[in-house]
Amino acid sequence: MATDTTTVAPPGLPSKADRVGRRPALRRDGRFAGIFLAPSLGGLALFTLFPTAMALAISLFDWPVFGERKFLGIDNYTQLLNDPVFRRVVLNTALFVVLYVPLNLVVSLGLAVWVGPKIKGRQAFRVLFFIPVMTPMVANVMVWRLLFQPGGLLDSGLESWFGINAPNFLGSSAWAMPAVVAMSIWQGFGYNFLVFSAALDQVPQSQLESAQIDGAGPLQRFRYVTWPMITPSIFFATTMTLITSFQVFVQPFILTQGGPGVATQTIVMYVYNQGWQFLTMGLASAAGWVLFVIIMAVTAIQFVGQRKWVQYDV
Amino acid sequence: MRGTPARARRWATAALSVLALTAVAACGGGNDGSGGGSGSADKADLTWSFWVAGTEDQAAWQKVADQAHTDHPGITVKLQGTTWDNYWAKVGTLLASGKAPCIMGMQSLRLASYANALLPLDDLMTKYGLKTEDFDKPIMDGLKADGKQIAIPYDSGPMVIFYNRDLFKAAGVAEPKPGWTMDEFTAAAKKLTSAGKTGFVTSPGDLGVTSWVRTQTGAEPLADGKLALTDPKFEEGFTTYANFVKTDKIAPQVPSGNPDFETQQFTSGKAAMQLNGPWSLIDVKGKVKFDLGIAPIPAGPDGSKTYTAGSGFGISRSCKTPDAAFQAIMSMTSEKPLTTLAVAGRAYPARTVAHPAWFTAVKVEGAKETIDYASENSVPLVTSKNWVQVADLLNRFGTQALNGEIPPDQALKTIQDQAGAGS
Repeated sequence: MATDTTTVAPPGLPSKADRVGRRPALRRDGRFAGIFLAPSLGGLALFTLFPTAMALAISLFDWPVFGERKFLGIDNYTQLLNDPVFRRVVLNTALFVVLYVPLNLVVSLGLAVWVGPKIKGRQAFRVLFFIPVMTPMVANVMVWRLLFQPGGLLDSGLESWFGINAPNFLGSSAWAMPAVVAMSIWQGFGYNFLVFSAALDQVPQSQLESAQIDGAGPLQRFRYVTWPMITPSIFFATTMTLITSFQVFVQPFILTQGGPGVATQTIVMYVYNQGWQFLTMGLASAAGWVLFVIIMAVTAIQFVGQRKWVQYDV
Repeated sequence: MRGTPARARRWATAALSVLALTAVAACGGGNDGSGGGSGSADKADLTWSFWVAGTEDQAAWQKVADQAHTDHPGITVKLQGTTWDNYWAKVGTLLASGKAPCIMGMQSLRLASYANALLPLDDLMTKYGLKTEDFDKPIMDGLKADGKQIAIPYDSGPMVIFYNRDLFKAAGVAEPKPGWTMDEFTAAAKKLTSAGKTGFVTSPGDLGVTSWVRTQTGAEPLADGKLALTDPKFEEGFTTYANFVKTDKIAPQVPSGNPDFETQQFTSGKAAMQLNGPWSLIDVKGKVKFDLGIAPIPAGPDGSKTYTAGSGFGISRSCKTPDAAFQAIMSMTSEKPLTTLAVAGRAYPARTVAHPAWFTAVKVEGAKETIDYASENSVPLVTSKNWVQVADLLNRFGTQALNGEIPPDQALKTIQDQAGAGS
């Protein structure tokens, strides 16, 4: 849906006129396609569409895990919007996205460019940078907690070297979110790093060389040759990173449990707590739908915007 | 999908809606599911859902379950173990589905939330002659809801002070004794605070906060079953507790979201005292490299007052063989398995007759004197239906209050505003 393939029709594909003339055959193809698609469509309906619709239904009820259910209409939504805690939770999620997505992209793209074709041992670097993505997040978070907490590695290191105490990273409202973002970037940049590395490898050496002969410096070569060619990958990475960062859960859940106060609580954590800890499924489902709508909107804006800067047919 | 005829699309929509509605209806269905277990009073295969920490733990608890089979050859109990966090994440849905196992683990602090889905045991207790007085009274009361016994305890324990005797000796501070006062506690903690070490360590955990508040002002978190955190007495007690970090500086700043922080600080020798439950004593003793002592919580104006918490086993309402399940629970909480657990250091037994075995196993000087004293001065921490939420909020805003980011009474007001209505 993102690639507009009709502009560059590969040779051999029938022209529009041909297609009109061969309708019955196409219809048969469509039927076969339908049969082949059925298993995955069935799965999609059962495991994605149905739960989504079900959540919408539940969000209109006062739905305790046990006890009487009561139809509320949109009361859960009004309660959420009037709740200072939920508003803060939405802001926290936005803050995480605003801090995490650009930093992640800059770090992963920067390192991918640095570990470019000319560096020695680039395979080793690629493996090294990918290790945090592969190790279980829970284990990573445990180690970062030991770094961050009072009397932890950072704190005691600063104290023994400089005689000062580090901020209480996980206990201070000002520091907790940056701490969560820092840990998340370390943990997550490896994936985009691989995506960008693969994209950079696809940039033809001949074009870079001809640009060099024409007198383009390294910055110009990056800006006018490399950048346009990797925009599809950047678009892909941005979209995926945005979606996953709106859904951030594990890092704050284990590192700070959303605290102090609600300083690091995110929407998904809120959903989890309301649903599985406090057993109020209606409110949890409503919050889930709020998140769904936000992600849909942001993704839609991205797809509209990409026409202006993503170049598929270079 | 562009080529799909409108009719087919309508069919698809209709089919999906029917599917959705059926599912809604199915979820709304009553408790007619086949609850765990089948059979009669003397013959049944029962499932027991409980929290375990690993395979070794699972084996130890399965032995407890096997006691039921030993006592009643017709009854078998199969342990379905899961981690503590997972257990509480799914116990609600299990109970709601009507397919919950017959025997369920239940903790006193969370009892109020689940009491409706569990069977009151009073009639069965009379029928099979279970004697209440054989158990510690505070925990027996702690596992009651609306005056009805909901679960039979296997462990219990009043909150007490664990202290590092080596640090006390090095600082020349007299060791605490039952009856020691709040002033003696702060004076000792101040002396013990120096060179990167603190005399005490706090946490915003529910048992810790409420125990300190109770000993200092006597205030309880609930009044007539409703959350009452903005009671001036409660605010006063909590403010003093927060001041341990903020103004007295006898305890370190607390991180957010690390329930083990207190124990980590204490076992690593960075804090000289912590508040903890007897259920942790053997575990902590195994971790520390110093001489460990325990003492009651310091006495406020009206003496030393603390809270008891503990856990036990209940029967789900969907269980078809409550008689067999109750007999199994009686076996599982009888002297033999509780003594075995006590010797292994897994739990401070709720049955008084098993206490000596536990004291022999812990080998901590003065443990009996302290725990008996604390037990006498303790009451069960009675919680509200939404206590999980209250405890969660207390952790969040309590952290801010302890670290001096927000005033303690503001923290309590926020918690009360968020959770008061649902209590």
